[in-house]
Amino acid sequence: MILTDIESFVAIAMITFEDIFGGQVLERIPAALSILYLIAIGVVIFFLISSLRGAFARPDPLEEDLPTGVASRITQAVTNRSLRIWRVVFFVLAFTVFGLHVYWTLIAADTNEQFQNLTYKDSRQRRANVASLRGWMLDRTGTLENALASYEIEGNRGLTRKYRFDSAFSHLLGTERGSAGLERVLYGGSIDPMPSAVEVLTTIRRQEDYSQDVRTTLHGELQRFVAEKMAGKKGAVVVMDPQTGDVLAMYSGPSYKLSEARTQDGYLELEADRRNKPLLNRATREYYVPGSTFKAFTMIAAFRANKQGAIFPSSAGGYLAARGARPIRDSNGGCAAPYGCAPLDLSQAFAVSSNQYFARMAVELGGERLGKTAELLGIGAYDTPAEALRSNLFSDIWNSDNDRLRGALAVERSAMVTGKSASRYDLALQGIGQGYAGQMTPLQMALIISAIGNMDGRLMKPKIEYGIEPRVFSDVLAPFQAARAREIMALVTEGAGGTGGRAFGAVRSAGIRTGGKTGTAEKDVVAFDSSGRMQTVKKRRRGANGKWETYDAPRMVRRVDSWYVSLAPIERPRLAIAVVVESGGYGSVTAGPIAADIVLKARDLGLLRNNGGRR
Amino acid sequence: MMKSRASSHLLILLAVTALTALAHYAVHYGALIRGYETSWMSGARNVGLIAILALLPPIFSFLFKFRGNWSIYTACVILFSIGLTAQYRLFSDPEYALRGPERAQARLDKTKTMQLHYVRQVYDADKKAMLGLPPTPPSPVDISQEIRRPVVEDADAVLKSGRTVAPLIAIVGLILAFALMRYERLLELVRNNGFLIVLFTVGLLILAAVFSTAGKFLGEMTPWEPSKIPFLIGFAAVLAALYRNLARTYWGLPSGRDVVPLVFMAVLPFLPFFLLKDFGQMMVFSGVYITLFAIAVRRFAQRFVLIGGVVLIFSILVVGALPVNVQEKIPLLPTVAKPVKEILPDRIQQRFHLWLDGFNPPSPETTWWKKDYDRYYAELVRRNPKLPALVEANPSLKKSINVDAWFDNLAFQPAQATFGLNAGGITGRGIGLGYVEGIPVADSDYIYAAIGEELGLVGGLLVTLSLLVLVAGGVRIAIDARDMFSKLCAAGLTAFLGFQALVNIGGITRALPMTGITLPFVSHGGFSLITSFVMLGMLMALSHRNWVDRQLAADLREGRIFTEDMEEKE
Repeated sequence: MILTDIESFVAIAMITFEDIFGGQVLERIPAALSILYLIAIGVVIFFLISSLRGAFARPDPLEEDLPTGVASRITQAVTNRSLRIWRVVFFVLAFTVFGLHVYWTLIAADTNEQFQNLTYKDSRQRRANVASLRGWMLDRTGTLENALASYEIEGNRGLTRKYRFDSAFSHLLGTERGSAGLERVLYGGSIDPMPSAVEVLTTIRRQEDYSQDVRTTLHGELQRFVAEKMAGKKGAVVVMDPQTGDVLAMYSGPSYKLSEARTQDGYLELEADRRNKPLLNRATREYYVPGSTFKAFTMIAAFRANKQGAIFPSSAGGYLAARGARPIRDSNGGCAAPYGCAPLDLSQAFAVSSNQYFARMAVELGGERLGKTAELLGIGAYDTPAEALRSNLFSDIWNSDNDRLRGALAVERSAMVTGKSASRYDLALQGIGQGYAGQMTPLQMALIISAIGNMDGRLMKPKIEYGIEPRVFSDVLAPFQAARAREIMALVTEGAGGTGGRAFGAVRSAGIRTGGKTGTAEKDVVAFDSSGRMQTVKKRRRGANGKWETYDAPRMVRRVDSWYVSLAPIERPRLAIAVVVESGGYGSVTAGPIAADIVLKARDLGLLRNNGGRR
Repeated sequence: MMKSRASSHLLILLAVTALTALAHYAVHYGALIRGYETSWMSGARNVGLIAILALLPPIFSFLFKFRGNWSIYTACVILFSIGLTAQYRLFSDPEYALRGPERAQARLDKTKTMQLHYVRQVYDADKKAMLGLPPTPPSPVDISQEIRRPVVEDADAVLKSGRTVAPLIAIVGLILAFALMRYERLLELVRNNGFLIVLFTVGLLILAAVFSTAGKFLGEMTPWEPSKIPFLIGFAAVLAALYRNLARTYWGLPSGRDVVPLVFMAVLPFLPFFLLKDFGQMMVFSGVYITLFAIAVRRFAQRFVLIGGVVLIFSILVVGALPVNVQEKIPLLPTVAKPVKEILPDRIQQRFHLWLDGFNPPSPETTWWKKDYDRYYAELVRRNPKLPALVEANPSLKKSINVDAWFDNLAFQPAQATFGLNAGGITGRGIGLGYVEGIPVADSDYIYAAIGEELGLVGGLLVTLSLLVLVAGGVRIAIDARDMFSKLCAAGLTAFLGFQALVNIGGITRALPMTGITLPFVSHGGFSLITSFVMLGMLMALSHRNWVDRQLAADLREGRIFTEDMEEKE
């Protein structure tokens, strides 16, 4: 009888022990013990302090009997006063020292910039991340086999991070140092790898909600295909779903191996390569001159102003935006084939890529209308060139609740100048993707056409996380206008004289209707020699003292970039593609075929199918 | 309200012993989570040491009829308990205890264990299968089922280790110091020969300094720690003899006959410590001597001159070492700072830079940094011969190499300590759950950072409060003391313990430049621990004397004894 009593008592005691300390998370027991230790020692010290309080209050032995006036003057009383003052000074010093402990613990992480920038030097961050394993990063198929980032057991070295597609995803996943990528932002925020003792006790339930896996909108196979197509080329490709904003692929070439960037030497070498800039994510952070692809923008602006019916003449002498300005001619030096110098409507002009038409259209629309359209599409519309040239990271375009993710993916904001300082000639040039409009990122171009590709004429915010709801960035066009604009874009691959016709022949014969736009843009860039050093030329300028002096100026060379933007399938686009290849020559020759191959690959992967509802 | 009675303190201290055992169990469990085990014997030794200290109050009451204040003693035992726990945590960790490739292996083993625990707890069967592990659903880890890796226990080694011997000597030292300091005769003798004591100590110290290397003697020992006690006694004796004369001034100046011996006595201890390049001790000494001087001297002008002078010297040093970008913000400052900067030794400039601008690497051209930087760079070039060409092509690369060099070398330890404080948060990561093994020398100089990481702000606050209890108690003893010499002794002992703690903690929280001195009672140490305990014993003896005096005074007042009896007693 007594024995069972003891047994049941022990059993009850064990249950309480389990309740308090819990069995799920191992760390609970030491965490609970250390909190207990802190509390108990705190109580003991509290007793000590209260026992000393009496000593504080007790008068000095001498002063007990003497009248105060006398007592305050004798040596001992003076000394004791000094001792009391010293005690106060010491207390102040001690709390100052402790106050700095408070600063480093609670305040520095939020306010001290130097401290924040150096957290990657914290060895425990690395240790904790390695020990408490990041989640797996899945592609849009959601299968473990296709995980973009997972783990493998590598011989004797424990679990190591494995990147199945490695260099295809380098820019998206990012390195451990330098600017952050998905690897650093997807897992850092949600669960602290280094929880405090209290958090261990109260919030962490490892089994129930500890899976940190993230499913992304990216498609591993598609991205790998894009990387293969871009092998050996510089440039960028963005593939997104215009209906939802899902980013399916985003590649920047040249890329690098993530394993290389993990070592210090490897990273330094990548950082030093200024000729190829492998660490730069060209899709979001590099400006390109969009050239003719930007006519899609001017077309949107025309629709918004109800000028889609405008018919403009074209002449062999080109379009004169203002008196004395350089005439704007078509690419063949006169009027674009096959219509010759006949009046063109919007669809004809778009199909043959008439510079004269779109330059004139931009001038007719005026700066205000162009600026409004630009803002709706996420482009910064500025009053002066100086403002447009300023670097400006734009993170709010992304559809994500994770601040760090938006920050890591933030785009270098594309810019135009549409204010009063923009002349008629400036507007004309911008209408054909030249001049001040020469600051477009590849992602921006994908966004412009995705607004046309969206069934409701909306620009969806791009997103990377699979699970979150699509969000609208802006209402750009009415649905019927968007539908009409898509038909016009289809003429580029289907119409007579369409510039994309040849490149998309295979796609057409596969029965997929697409819309697109070619672009060929010249850009002056700094030249490098074969060893990666910047080339310079001697130039003369007037120095600060008013004398002429020679200096080394970077040598500039003209580069011809090849562009193609595409929507597929055109009836209900699932893909909005932007391809740019540096030094690629004509858009229809280099970028166009890559876009066509991507469409075919996407078809093979089942990405063109419409899965019923609006997803 | 607690009375400062031996019995209640016995109870408190027994509770502290139990808590120490609990904390050691936490260390043990934390070790199991990371796949290694702790030594039971060392743990038992630590708890045993606290237990011995816990049993001293009744022994003192019985043996010495001790009736002084126990609070300072208990505060010190609490500090010691926190320190022993932190040390046990560190020394059990193979990653902390080992060096070289063995250490890397230990780290890898720990990481693997933690990863596998995580996988077992969190990953579902599919994921486990992909890793090539048995496909089981997520399940809790049963520590008791893991493969044991017990530490090889060697009773002989544990008993003979410095971590057993030093605290035992310290406890004996505490008892001896207490027993001796009770004798009026001895105090008298010491007081009358202050100058000789100081001279003798200086002689010994200079010998030690000559044979020392890099501020250490015979390996890792600092046998000059105990010299604080004779220095203090000597200075207190001289000051007690002269302080009255100092108040007698001619045209506002005290007579040279009184000033010269004082200054001489004050400067003497700085010589050996300067030779030893022990700037931490110099800081503590200046703090203590200013304290004693300010307490003993009665004229405001004299106090002002001394304290003002020291503050001035210190601020000139600070100005000289301020980072350039800060200097440029204040007009005239660069002009003032330039000559100072030229005089300041490299070592001090380096310490000051680490203190005031530690997260900002100095330019690789800086004199005191160039050598280390060049060595680091040469090592990089050895690994990657292409580097110089890369640096030439891209000058910004040099900057990032400099940052790496800075944080892998000089700034590594202080930066890791600050990150540790930051990681600790309010309640800490929990005993055994932090990554304190990543901070070099976390068992002695940097132990406060280890406490801050695993016990958090609260742990730091408890250490600070214990220190304040000690200081408040010590000041009380000084106030109650009847003569100037014992007043100065009590104040000096308190100031030594207090300032040493402040300089140590301040070095870690970046309130002061970091200097390699220990945190009294908390840090692992031989001579420094012994010295601290001896000082505590002396303070307790002075406290006891106060009680005896008070008792005598009361008896006299109430007519229980008469002055004639007193004389007989003497």
